[in-house]
Amino acid sequence: MSSAEIEVSQVRKVYYKDRLEIPVLDGLNLKIAAGEFVALMGPSGSGKSTLLHLVGGLDTPTGGSVRVGDAYLESMTERERTAWRSRHIGFIFQMYHLVPVLTAAQNVELPLLLFKMAANERKERVKTALTIVGLGDRMDHRPNQLSGGQEQRVAIARAIVTDPDAILADEPTGDLDAKTSDEILDLLNLLNSEFGKSILMVTHDPKAASRSNRIVHLEKGLLEREEINPVTVRESAVA
Amino acid sequence: MALPLSYHWRNLFVRKNTTILTVLVIAAVVGVFTWMIGFRGAVNQSLSVAGEERKIIVLKKGATAESNSAIPIDEYNKLGQLNSVEKNPATGQPRFSPEMIIQVSLPRLADGGMTFANVAVRGVTDDAFVVHSNVKELGTRFSVAEREVIVGVAASKQFGGLNIGDIVNIGFGGDRGYKVVGYFSADGGPMESEIWGYLPSLMNAYNRTMYSSVSLRLTPDADPKEVIAQIEGPAIQLTGKTEKDYWKEQTKLTQIYLFVTGALVAVMSIAAVFAIANTMYAVVAGRTREIAMLRTIGFDGYTILRGLILESVMVSLMGGIIGCLGCAAWLEIAGNTKDMFGATTFTTMAFEIHLTPVIVVAAMIMVTLLGVVGALMPGLRAARLEVLTALREA
Ligand SMILES: Nc1ncnc2c1ncn2[C@@H]1O[C@H](COP(=O)(O)OP(=O)(O)O)[C@@H](O)[C@H]1O
Ligand SMILES: [Mg+2]
Repeated sequence: MSSAEIEVSQVRKVYYKDRLEIPVLDGLNLKIAAGEFVALMGPSGSGKSTLLHLVGGLDTPTGGSVRVGDAYLESMTERERTAWRSRHIGFIFQMYHLVPVLTAAQNVELPLLLFKMAANERKERVKTALTIVGLGDRMDHRPNQLSGGQEQRVAIARAIVTDPDAILADEPTGDLDAKTSDEILDLLNLLNSEFGKSILMVTHDPKAASRSNRIVHLEKGLLEREEINPVTVRESAVA
Repeated sequence: MALPLSYHWRNLFVRKNTTILTVLVIAAVVGVFTWMIGFRGAVNQSLSVAGEERKIIVLKKGATAESNSAIPIDEYNKLGQLNSVEKNPATGQPRFSPEMIIQVSLPRLADGGMTFANVAVRGVTDDAFVVHSNVKELGTRFSVAEREVIVGVAASKQFGGLNIGDIVNIGFGGDRGYKVVGYFSADGGPMESEIWGYLPSLMNAYNRTMYSSVSLRLTPDADPKEVIAQIEGPAIQLTGKTEKDYWKEQTKLTQIYLFVTGALVAVMSIAAVFAIANTMYAVVAGRTREIAMLRTIGFDGYTILRGLILESVMVSLMGGIIGCLGCAAWLEIAGNTKDMFGATTFTTMAFEIHLTPVIVVAAMIMVTLLGVVGALMPGLRAARLEVLTALREA
């Protein structure tokens, strides 16, 4: 079980559209301790996804540096970042992004296909991951045979099957009802407290955010303010 | 690094209609392609059998085919001057096979006798069976006393009324009935499309006094060019051609036909590539977010490209298999013989088409190439996809 500290220093991100500069992040700093669960809030278009993509090595900053564990992402080539990402980051999206033609187990297995790993071990890991998310009995179901909440669980299993250092979730409950959202958040809490995963979760929902150790607010390219959640911090400290 | 085969396989059935349509387009190309290659093979087989350099066909001066050639007896007798002609060991004399060609109209079996073809009837003597050494009698030979003929195996398969015991009506107005008494083969050569009977009997039936052609064999040390020059020279006033050249001229129409079919296959192949590319573009458009997700997980663009090519090749191979089966079924239903007019004889040459393993393999290689080429551009588009843009489109 691995976990890593994340450090974002002086990160700037500028997009260009029709030669027009669109500054999104403007010297942003954020440090997430290994095993910490941070919620990222902010208005639409404030750059939350952008930040998540930078931390996950899907994109590169215009300036500044991003470190995850001992990996400095800006010093890697794209190929290196891709290989690194497959081992160290688990992504969870709002729309689950499951492959419709594959079963739950096959969807979860996908990231493992990138490694040299015996089929037996892959099977074992897939089973473990699906059991953790509570779908040990739905291995052979296709996404269209699952509810939205179950689909998101499969996506979470896919994110953790490689035992990543950090989980990056972009509005993981944005498409779910309150009850199902709660279950997904329970699961994220479990991954955080039981398995010590660092989590950075983008959310609009204050209730979802309240499940984290710390909430940071992104506005105008900077982290405007942050709130420590004493309850969850104590819980994870106990664990 | 590769995506599971089941992923690609199942995706083919996601867009079932497009896949089926593409498969059918490819099947059509392959059907025509395999048939054409089979036909070409049959023609080449036929020509290679009839391609002897040491066999000379002698015709009237200026004639291009046996059917428009007539050799007067005194010119025929002058052929005795030729050196380098294989001798008859029994007589010690040079061996010549004088022959006469006429035609009969017979129903084609392929369309149940709806149409008729001109089939060559060749009057021959015993010498013909020696000079045309690849002719093998299957059963008895025609007798010189009765009105009898033997039938080439290709002709027997392709035209009606040529079973043993059947009567073929020959002569002016078809007034003389010749009975079929046997068959012969000729190693798949063009003579297999003919009917053979006794030369004097057939000449008599048509009141002919001249031969159509004379065939002869050269001794091993002879130079065909010199002999031909002698045949066309001042002393003898006739035309000589090696058998190879003769049949090459006769199949000119067939060669043109093959060229046109080849061009058709080429055009169809290009259309198939576009059909495949079109399908694959639709596939890529429909799976943009999925591909972006795979890239996010860590699959690289090359794996995506290769996967799409694989899917395209799967579709192509399905088309290839169906095309080959279609061609085989067509040969089964419509018959595997195809007849073509000789370029100048206006008699029919029958070719037997076989769908050989080599042809099937060639077809599979061709469809694989079509699949790869068709998937290349859409595959590259998928491989170069802007991952983040695609993810945001969610
Ligand atoms: N590829 C891009 N090109 C230009 N502008 C972009 C691009 N991606 C994102 N943006 C802009 O950057 C800003 C931040 O986007 P995003 O990080 O998705 O915001 P959030 O997730 O907080 O809603 C938005 O204004 C968006 O339009
Ligand atoms: Mg966003």
